[in-house]
Amino acid sequence: MLKIIIPTIMLIPLTWMSKPNMIWINTTTYGLLISLISLFYLNQPNDNTLNSSLMFFSDSLSAPLLALTTWLLPLMLMASQHHLSKEPLTRKKLYISMLILLQLFLIMTFTASELIFFYILFEATLIPTLIIITRWGNQTERLNAGLYFLFYTLMGSLPLLVALLYIHNFMGSLNFLMIQYWIQPLPNSWSNIFLWLACMMAFMVKMPLYGLHLWLPKAHVEAPIAGSMVLAAVLLKLGGYGMMRITTLLNPLTNFMAYPFMMLSLWGMIMTSSICLRQTDLKSLIAYSSVSHMALVIVAVLIQTPWSYMGATALMIAHGLTSSMLFCLANSNYERIHSRTMVLARGLQTLLPLMAAWWLLASLTNLALPPTINLIGELFVVMSSFSWSNTTIILMGINIIITALYSLYMLITTQRGKYSHHIKNIKPSFTRENALMTLHLLPLLLLSLNPKIILGPIY
Amino acid sequence: MNMFSSCMITALVILTLPIIMSSTKLYKNKLYPYYVKTATSYAFMISMIPTMMFIYSGQEMIISNWHWMTIQTTKLSMSFKLDYFSMIFVPVALFVTWSIMEFSMWYMHSDPYINRFFKYLLLFLITMMVLVTANNMFQLFIGWEGVGIMSFLLIGWWYGRTDANTAALQAVLYNRIGDVGFIMAMAWFQLNLNTWDLQQIFITTNDNFNLPLLGLLLAATGKSAQFGLHPWLPSAMEGPTPVSALLHSSTMVVAGVFLLIRFHPLMEHNQTIQTLTLCLGAITTLLTAICALTQNDIKKIVAFSTSSQLGLMMVTIGINQPYLAFLHICTHAFFKAMLFMCSGSIIHSLNDEQDIRKMGGLFKVLPFTTTSLIIGSLALTGMPFLTGFYSKDLIIESANTSNTNAWALLITLVATSLTAAYSTRIMFFALLGQPRFSPMILINENNPLLINSIKRLLIGSVFAGYIISHSITPTTIPQMTMPHYLKMTALAVTILGFILALELNLTTQGLKFNYPSNYFKFSSLLGYYPTIMHRLTPKTSLTISQKSASMLLDSIWLENILPKSISYFQMKSSTLISNQKGLIKLYFLSFMLTMILSLLILNYHG
Repeated sequence: MLKIIIPTIMLIPLTWMSKPNMIWINTTTYGLLISLISLFYLNQPNDNTLNSSLMFFSDSLSAPLLALTTWLLPLMLMASQHHLSKEPLTRKKLYISMLILLQLFLIMTFTASELIFFYILFEATLIPTLIIITRWGNQTERLNAGLYFLFYTLMGSLPLLVALLYIHNFMGSLNFLMIQYWIQPLPNSWSNIFLWLACMMAFMVKMPLYGLHLWLPKAHVEAPIAGSMVLAAVLLKLGGYGMMRITTLLNPLTNFMAYPFMMLSLWGMIMTSSICLRQTDLKSLIAYSSVSHMALVIVAVLIQTPWSYMGATALMIAHGLTSSMLFCLANSNYERIHSRTMVLARGLQTLLPLMAAWWLLASLTNLALPPTINLIGELFVVMSSFSWSNTTIILMGINIIITALYSLYMLITTQRGKYSHHIKNIKPSFTRENALMTLHLLPLLLLSLNPKIILGPIY
Repeated sequence: MNMFSSCMITALVILTLPIIMSSTKLYKNKLYPYYVKTATSYAFMISMIPTMMFIYSGQEMIISNWHWMTIQTTKLSMSFKLDYFSMIFVPVALFVTWSIMEFSMWYMHSDPYINRFFKYLLLFLITMMVLVTANNMFQLFIGWEGVGIMSFLLIGWWYGRTDANTAALQAVLYNRIGDVGFIMAMAWFQLNLNTWDLQQIFITTNDNFNLPLLGLLLAATGKSAQFGLHPWLPSAMEGPTPVSALLHSSTMVVAGVFLLIRFHPLMEHNQTIQTLTLCLGAITTLLTAICALTQNDIKKIVAFSTSSQLGLMMVTIGINQPYLAFLHICTHAFFKAMLFMCSGSIIHSLNDEQDIRKMGGLFKVLPFTTTSLIIGSLALTGMPFLTGFYSKDLIIESANTSNTNAWALLITLVATSLTAAYSTRIMFFALLGQPRFSPMILINENNPLLINSIKRLLIGSVFAGYIISHSITPTTIPQMTMPHYLKMTALAVTILGFILALELNLTTQGLKFNYPSNYFKFSSLLGYYPTIMHRLTPKTSLTISQKSASMLLDSIWLENILPKSISYFQMKSSTLISNQKGLIKLYFLSFMLTMILSLLILNYHG
């Protein structure tokens, strides 16, 4: 794992020592090279895991997320060039260093084999994200958003620390790989119920579960483009990843503890997607759509069947790329219109036809058009929830309909119709932006050809 | 191994060539529409080879090419099913598309993005081929969703128009409701039968197929615009006329019926679902026929008649005659596509005038279009020995003689006679009588692109029914004998409709409504269905999402319960506990008082 971690660390000196006009191109190229290395981990030759050391390992659950993380860094760098073009050089470098630091923490989180180590890094990712949101956000509300972000996730995860110490105390180890062989079924008692809650709530807040999701739209709306991208693409997936790792410790309590959370998620996904129907703010719409998609992941993880796990992992990767792409598109609108309000950016297809094609493709992947991996994820989740209880198909069906509606509503409002006069003299789309969208779409298309590498360990 | 599969694959590959070409310089070429049209015609001719072989030898085939993935015990691979239905439907669809593409070279010639339009048409055709030839449900679903999205793009072709965008969104919404049914069926099959392959589904027995069949029925209802989910089809007429001709008459909308035909091995023993299908089809066919009676937009009338014919196909499935329904799909494709092309010709000639009240007397200026329109209408009504007769007459006969729901039968018969009535109305208002259009328009229909494309379908509308129905061995036993009056029913109700409509039109032509009757309002307002469903449901759901989901839950409850209340209680408790309250005046006052007191006391003491 050091062969990814050390190059990532070395990105920081590269940033600081590059010539002023080379900082973006150097870091982007280097980041892309690192992401190529991470692709090797997608090849999991043996059934269990690739153990790099006592600290790090990767299996087919973490490898796709790892690849997603490293893939996203160059994309974030490409996306935020315009946003930072007015800043002084030092601040640009600081910003890039924050992104690199975040990637470093994320890589280590996804590959940590020790739960306490995982926990520390899980918390450490908050720091660069918080700095990115509160320092480089666009409005004053960013401070409030940072506060919400920090406190929701911290309050959720502090009980986890206590729970981990307790588990360490009676198990003697917190190693993922060993613990799954040692674990005894937890007896049903009040203290174990609280143990379950403590373990799961940290990740549920991160996902986020409906009801604990308020921080997410705020953080997404206020964060700069790179912040929104990484939040939607990777940080939310930390929750799903953590839940899938830790549920092995919590059997058989999950069988009955899952009910309230499943209900909340099923209800919440419809609520949040119907909120999307009434959004006027483009970024907020995409953020709420993330909440609704992540609710599906929560349902899938709590059902705990092979199909649902496959669906959850596929959906996490698919949603990571799609929502990140949508945020990039929203940002390219924002850089031209200087507003996130959708009605101010009507009829852009007339002016920016190629951008309209990207919008179309992004919306179609968001509504899970077959045969994209979004569909595979959603279909598997729908099927496993159908087998869990037949009536959930009604809720899932409503959600499918609303998802299609708001995706196309977003497309039609921004791209179709007559354009308004204040956008007549906007800039054409840059090659950088088109390349950015292509780099989002390409993995989606390629993964649709061969989805089994993102279907997780159970495949 | 013979020519069968290789020819079929060649035909499919030829279709993809112009799509691949679109990334080269050729796409910028003015001849791109021509290439696309030629590719389609070649694909048609090549696909005729396996179809002939199928008709001759009756050989069926399944091609499995590419193993996509295996999920636990379910194997998913790309496979094509070349059986009766796909082998007949593929050439029909290719033939119709070929003509429509030629027609749109004429109709869309002034569009700056005509190349993209052709690419979309071709993409649609490919997804339709995927749908028709799919051998497993996943592949079927790819085609199913693909045609839905292509219909969204094509209806919204003139994206500057709000109506076009609304219609496109409406089409996707109604189709998406149907998709839920499809997904439910997929989930059920996966859960209970552990497969998506059609053969494996059909050989597996299960006691109760009600749930997946209901899902499939819902899917068919959405795609084929059956009652409840029907309003999107007339709205879809906002798209260009070639799109209406291709998607909304001959190919995409029959996909729902096609799905039910595909799954008829499960349906044929299930009385519940059959009765449901029968009633659904009967209601649709009557309601949409009634709606067609009072429309004035020529495309809307044709669209409603499409909807009515789709209802008839559902009725046919309901009386357990999937092969007849399939025959009607094929024959319907010819004359309905031609009717749309004729109305396109009229609309284009009259400078985009769609109102039949402003037409009239077109038989003089558009003789060829008039001929084709009349033949198409007659074929639609089931005039003996035209294409429609071979399927429609059989359908009505089998319905008459089957042991079926009498109400559904009666409704279907009424709808059949209404078919004749609204067809008469189109002919009467648009073609006959005195001209009512602007005399300044230069009308010329003598364009080979227009003439040839319509001519080809015209020949199809006359002979296709005969050829298709006679070259296929009957798979279900047709009714051999029946009483004289039953045999004549279909013809009698049609002639009745003709005569009534003609009389009514002649007598009421010069008259004016004082005020429209309630029956008239019911028909012209489409049975009040859009008024209710398109106002009430969106309004309630959007109000709920704004008021309860967004404002009440998110902005008030969730915001107040956690963050706001925590910070509030923190502040309250901190002010309560702290002894430093910041009351400066009081502090100073007490300070002053003590100072004065101490000074006074000290002074006196001293």
